Amino acid sequence: MANITVTIDGKQLSAAPGETILKIARDAGIQIPTLCHNEKISRTTSCFVCVVKDIKSGRFLPSCSACPADGGEYESSSAEVSDMRRSALDLLLSEHNGDCEAPCTIACPAHADVEAYVRAGRDGDFLKSLQIIKTRIPLPMSIGRVCPRFCEVDCRKNITAGEGGAVCINDFKRLAADLHYEEYMEELPELNGKKVAIIGAGPAGLGTAYYLRMQGFASVIYEKMPKPGGMLRYGIPEYRLPKDILDKELNHFNKLGIEILCNQELGKDVTLDELKKDFDAVAITVGCWKPSSMRTEGEELAAPGIEWLEKIARNGWKGKNPGRTIVVGGGNTAMDCLRTSVRLGSDNVQCFYRRTEKEMPAEDIEILEAKEEGVIFNFLTAPVSLRQGENGLILTCRKMELGEPDASGRRRPVPIEGSDYEVEADTVIAAIGQKTAIPDATIPANRWGDVEADKISQQVNDNIFAAGDCISGAATVVEGVAGAFRVANSIAAYLADIDPTTVHADPINVSRGHWRNMAIDDLVFLRNDISDEPRVEFDFLPPAERKHTMDEVSRTLTKENMMKEGERCIECSCTSRDECKLKEHSESYGAKPDAIKGEKIKAGYDNRHPSIIHDRMKCIKCGICVKICKEVVNENLLSIKQRGFSAKVEAAFGQPLPDSCSECGECIEKCPVGALDWKIKK
Amino acid sequence: MSNRIKKIKVGMASCGIAAGADELYKILEANGNGIPLEEVGCIGHCYAEPLIEVETDAGSIFYSVTDTKQATIDNIFNLGEASRFGISEIRAAKENVKITRLCGRISPTDIDEYIANGGYEALQKAQAMSSAEVIDEVKISGLRGRGGGGFPTGMKWGFMASKEADEKIIICNADEGDPGAFMDRSVMESVPHQLIEGMLIAAYATGSNKLFIYCRAEYPLAIKNLKIAIDQAYERKLNVINGKPLEIIIKEGAGAFVCGEETALIASLEGKRGMPRFRPPFPTDKGWNDFPSMINNVETFANVPVILAEGGAEYAKIGTEGSKGTKLFALAGDLENPGLIEVPMGITLAEIVFDIGGADRDSVKAVQTGGPSGGCIPVELFDTPVDYDSLKSLGAIMGSGGMIVIGQNRCMVETARYFLDFTHRESCGKCTFCRVGTKRMFETLERITAGAGEIADINFLEDMGTKVRSGSLCGLGQTAPNPVLATLCYFKDEYLSHIENRQCEALECPALVDVEIKQDKCIKCKLCIKNCPVNAVSDDFVIDNTLCTRCNSCIEVCPKDTIFRCKKGDGYYSG
Repeated sequence: MANITVTIDGKQLSAAPGETILKIARDAGIQIPTLCHNEKISRTTSCFVCVVKDIKSGRFLPSCSACPADGGEYESSSAEVSDMRRSALDLLLSEHNGDCEAPCTIACPAHADVEAYVRAGRDGDFLKSLQIIKTRIPLPMSIGRVCPRFCEVDCRKNITAGEGGAVCINDFKRLAADLHYEEYMEELPELNGKKVAIIGAGPAGLGTAYYLRMQGFASVIYEKMPKPGGMLRYGIPEYRLPKDILDKELNHFNKLGIEILCNQELGKDVTLDELKKDFDAVAITVGCWKPSSMRTEGEELAAPGIEWLEKIARNGWKGKNPGRTIVVGGGNTAMDCLRTSVRLGSDNVQCFYRRTEKEMPAEDIEILEAKEEGVIFNFLTAPVSLRQGENGLILTCRKMELGEPDASGRRRPVPIEGSDYEVEADTVIAAIGQKTAIPDATIPANRWGDVEADKISQQVNDNIFAAGDCISGAATVVEGVAGAFRVANSIAAYLADIDPTTVHADPINVSRGHWRNMAIDDLVFLRNDISDEPRVEFDFLPPAERKHTMDEVSRTLTKENMMKEGERCIECSCTSRDECKLKEHSESYGAKPDAIKGEKIKAGYDNRHPSIIHDRMKCIKCGICVKICKEVVNENLLSIKQRGFSAKVEAAFGQPLPDSCSECGECIEKCPVGALDWKIKK
Repeated sequence: MSNRIKKIKVGMASCGIAAGADELYKILEANGNGIPLEEVGCIGHCYAEPLIEVETDAGSIFYSVTDTKQATIDNIFNLGEASRFGISEIRAAKENVKITRLCGRISPTDIDEYIANGGYEALQKAQAMSSAEVIDEVKISGLRGRGGGGFPTGMKWGFMASKEADEKIIICNADEGDPGAFMDRSVMESVPHQLIEGMLIAAYATGSNKLFIYCRAEYPLAIKNLKIAIDQAYERKLNVINGKPLEIIIKEGAGAFVCGEETALIASLEGKRGMPRFRPPFPTDKGWNDFPSMINNVETFANVPVILAEGGAEYAKIGTEGSKGTKLFALAGDLENPGLIEVPMGITLAEIVFDIGGADRDSVKAVQTGGPSGGCIPVELFDTPVDYDSLKSLGAIMGSGGMIVIGQNRCMVETARYFLDFTHRESCGKCTFCRVGTKRMFETLERITAGAGEIADINFLEDMGTKVRSGSLCGLGQTAPNPVLATLCYFKDEYLSHIENRQCEALECPALVDVEIKQDKCIKCKLCIKNCPVNAVSDDFVIDNTLCTRCNSCIEVCPKDTIFRCKKGDGYYSG
C-alpha cells in the first residue's frame, strides 16, 4: 500500500499505513512521552500520557494506539496537549503510594544519599561509604560529630523501634571519615583556568571551594582569623569537635590544592573591588559573627556568647574559672558556653531561658549532657537588667508564661508582672543569637540584616555570590555545606554563561508520609531480615570524668557496631529511583505529587519471592508486566484484578511469584515505575 | 354467569415475582377450580404489580392484586369492580406499544403462542429476501443502536455483511448494567423469541454463523427463558439459515458494568478480563477471537422483527428526523407510575414524566437520562423532544433508556455524587483518567456534600470532568463525568450554596442539615424518643443536633409529621 501523509507539529511526514502516530512521530525525532507503551507487546493504551490532539476533530488521541488517516494533522507540543499530559501525570502521582527518596535524604539539608552510605557501611565498605558521603558532605569528620541529625528525626525506624530508635546515621559519616579520610583522595578534574575568591574559611567557604574544585575551578579563600575553620574552630568547643580532628579535615583541602590565606580581612587587608576584578567570581561566606543584643539595661556587662567562646578558642580552649556563671539563651551556642564554663572549673553554672525546655532550639542531646554535667536550667525566665553589685554582677530576672504561638510557631513568652527577682553571678554570658556583619557597603542586606541574594542561585550581584549563615542567618554546618553546593553550581553556570537560576535540579519527591502519621503496616519492607535490634548506643565519657576535661565527649563507634547498625535500615527509597519514567515525565511536564489530593493506593506489597519485590502501591496499572509475561515470556503469571481505584496486578490466587522468576526479570526491566523490582539495591 | 373466565395470565417477570406474583399464582391455582393459569411476562406497569389479566369471553380485565385476602381473590373470580387496573387515557394516548406489544400478553416459554401472534413471520419474510434487501429495510427504517451509542444499525449490518471470514459472529449485548434500567430484562423475560428472531434475521442479513447472547448473570429468569426459547427454536429448526444450523450461545457476565462496552464485552467473551481497547480496529473488523463481530443491543434486535414485518418505510413514519421508531424507557424515581414504557421518538420529556409517569408538575426538579453516565435535564427544558441528538445537545445522553425523575427535594450535588460513586467503582482501572480522575472527582463531591468544599473544587470538577471525557478509551470513562458536568451546568447555584454557605437547599446532605420537632403540633407520643438510635431526642422533645446523626428515624416514625429537616444552624445544639 502507498504511504500516507501525516502532519505532526507542523512537520509533514510520510508513513506506512497502519503505523501508530507515536511510531511516526518518534521516527521523525518528535519526542512523545509514554509509560504503558512497549514495543515488545501488543498495544495497551492505559496511561494517556502519550496523547496528541487530532486537529481536525479536536479530539485527544492516545498516540500509542491511534493510527492516522491519510492527511491527518496532529499536535504533540501545544500547551493544550501538555496540559492533558500533565493532568494524567498529576493523577498518577496523586495515587502513587511510594517514596522517591528516603525521608532521611529529604530531611538532610545537603541531600546526602544516606541510604546508600549506610548500606555501604552495612556491607563493611566504609571507603565506598565515604565516597558517597563526600559527594554532598565535604566535611565528614566535622559534620560526623556536630550534625544535629535532621535525617534521624525523620527516620522511619522511629516507628518500628519507637521514637528515638532511628538508625544512628551520623555515626556512619564519622566512622567512615575516621577510618579512611587520610588515605582518601578524590579524582580531580583538570583545572579550567578560572578562579574564584571566597571570603571566609568556615563550612560554607570550605564547601564552596571544594565543589568548585570538583568542577575544575581554582579558588583562594580569604580568612580573617589566624586559622581556618570558622565556627568549627572558634565557635564549636573542643569537647565536641577536637581541633586536631579539624586540622586533619582541613589538611585534605591542602591536598586538593585549595589556597587558604589567613589573617586576611575583607575591607582591611583586601577589598571587594580588587577581588571582583582579580577573580572570575567572588563568594561571600563570612558567616554570622555579630552577637544579637539582649536589649536589657546593663547588657554591656554581659559577655556575648560567641565572642566569649572565640576568646577561649584562641587560647587553645583554656581559660580561668568563670566562677558563678549565668548563660542567657537556649540555643546550641548557649549550651556550648554552659558546658565550657563547667570545664573551666565553675561549679555553679545556670541557664536562663524565657520559654520551656520544649521550645529550646538547642539539640536534645546537648541539653541532656549539660544537665548531666550539673548545669541548672531556669526555664520561663527572662533577663530584665544587669548591674554591677558589691560581690559580683546582679541580674534581675522576670518569670514568664507561654501565650499564643508566634511567627516561628513557638508559643510566645509573656511576662508575669511583679515576678522580678535578682540573681548574683561572676560571669553573665548572653547567647541569644547571631547576626551577619556585612563586610562591605556594596553588598546589599535583606530585612533581617543578612546578605541579600537570589533564593535559587544565591547570586548577590554581578559576579558576586554568597552562601551559608551570612544569607540564611545562623544555622548548622550541614546547612552551610548545602548552600555551598548550590552556590558552587551557580558560579560554575555563571562562568559558563548559563543563567545560574536554571541549573538547580528541582526533583519531585513522592512520599508515603512522615513516620508520625504512619503505622508499621504503612511501611514497605524489601526483605524480612531487617534487624529489629535497638539502636546502637553511643560511647560517651562519663559525666563525672568529662566535666574536668576538654576531651571529646563521645568516641567513634566501632566498625562492627556500625555494620550491625546498618542492618537496621529499612531502605525506604524507591528501588527504581533513578530510572522511574513517571518521575522523569512528571519533571519535564511540571506535574507535582500534591497537585491533586486524594486517597493513595492501598494494594499492599509482596516480598515473598527471594529476590523480587512487588510493590503494588506504586503500580500505574499499565499492564506491561502482565503482557510481557504472557506474550513474551509465555508464562502468563500475572493478571489485573478488581475494578476502579482498587485495580491491582497480582499472580493467580494471590500466590507468590515462582522462584524461577529470578532468572527472567523481563517484567522488572519493563516496569516503568519499579513496582516490580529486584530487592537488592545497587 | 354469562361472562366466562377463559384464562388468567399472571405477570411473572422479575418485577411481578418481587411484588409477590409467585404466591398469588399458587393461590389462584388453589382457588381457580381448574381455570387455566398462564405465566406471562411484564406489561410494564411495575407500580401496579402483581398484575393479572383475566381473559373472558367479553375481553380482558386487568387486576392489580396487591394482597391475597380471600375477598380479593373472590373478587377476581367474580370479575368484581374492585382493584381493577386500567391505563389512563392520557397515558394510552402518549404511549405507542410496538416492540413490547407481546410483553406480558403471551407466555415467554411457549413458542406456539409467539408464532400464533405473528412470531417468526419476519424471519421467514427476511429469508425470502436477499440479505442486501434485508439490510436495506433496516437502513430505511432509520433504526439506531438502542444500547446508547445510537449508531445506525443498518450501516453496521452493512459493514458486517461486507466482511469475508471463516467465522462471523453476532453478539447480543444483554449486559444491561445501568442501575434502574430494565428494558432488556423485560424483553428477554417476556418475549425471548423476539430477540432470537431479531438475531437470526441479523445473522441471515450479514452472513454470520455464530450467535452469542452476553447476558448479565443477575438476570436468572431472562437466562432461563432464553435457554428454553433457544431449545424451542432449535427444535423447530428456526436456527437453520441458508441450510446451516447456527449456534446460539448464552454467556453469563459476571457483573462488571464495563462489560457493556463492546470491546470489553468481547474480551470477556474470550475468557479474558473485561477491559476495553482502543478502536479502531472496530469489532466488525476484529472482534471475538479476531473474527468479524457485530454487537447489537437486546432492544435493537427486538426492533428488527417489527421492521421486517411492517417494512422499513412504515417503521420510519414514527419518530424525528434523526431518531426513528419507538424507544423503551425504564421510568424510576420521584413519580407515581414507575415502570417500563414504550414511546415514539420525539415525545417530550414533559409528556413522559408528567403524562405517562404521573409525576407532580410542581415537585419535579429534573430528569436523569442515560443512567449513571447520563446527564440531568432541568424541568425548564422538559419541552425537549426525546431523541439522540436533542438529548446530547443538552449534555445528557439517550443511553439505553434509564430515566430517573428527580424531585425538588433532591440535592443535585448529592445526585452527582451518587452516580459517580457507581461509575468510579465500576471503572475497569485501565485508563488513568477514568480510574484516578473519577475517583478524585468522587472524593471532591464527597467533600462538597460533607460541607468541606472549596471554590477551587468547582474548577477542578469542570477541568477534570472534561479531561476524563476525552482521556478514556471507552464509553464508561467518556460519559462518567456527565452527571457532574450536567449538574454543574444547570444547578451550579446548589454547588455554590454547599461551598459558600455550607447549606444544602434541598436539605438532603446530612452534614448540612439539622433536625427539629415542630412543638405546636407534637402530640408527645414519644415514638421519636424510642426510635432514636443515639438518644438525641430529649424528654421534652427537643432534638440535640450535636448528637443527631440525621438518620431520619424520627421523621419516618412521627405519626403527625411534626419532625423536619431544617437548615444547618437552625436546629438546637447543646453546649
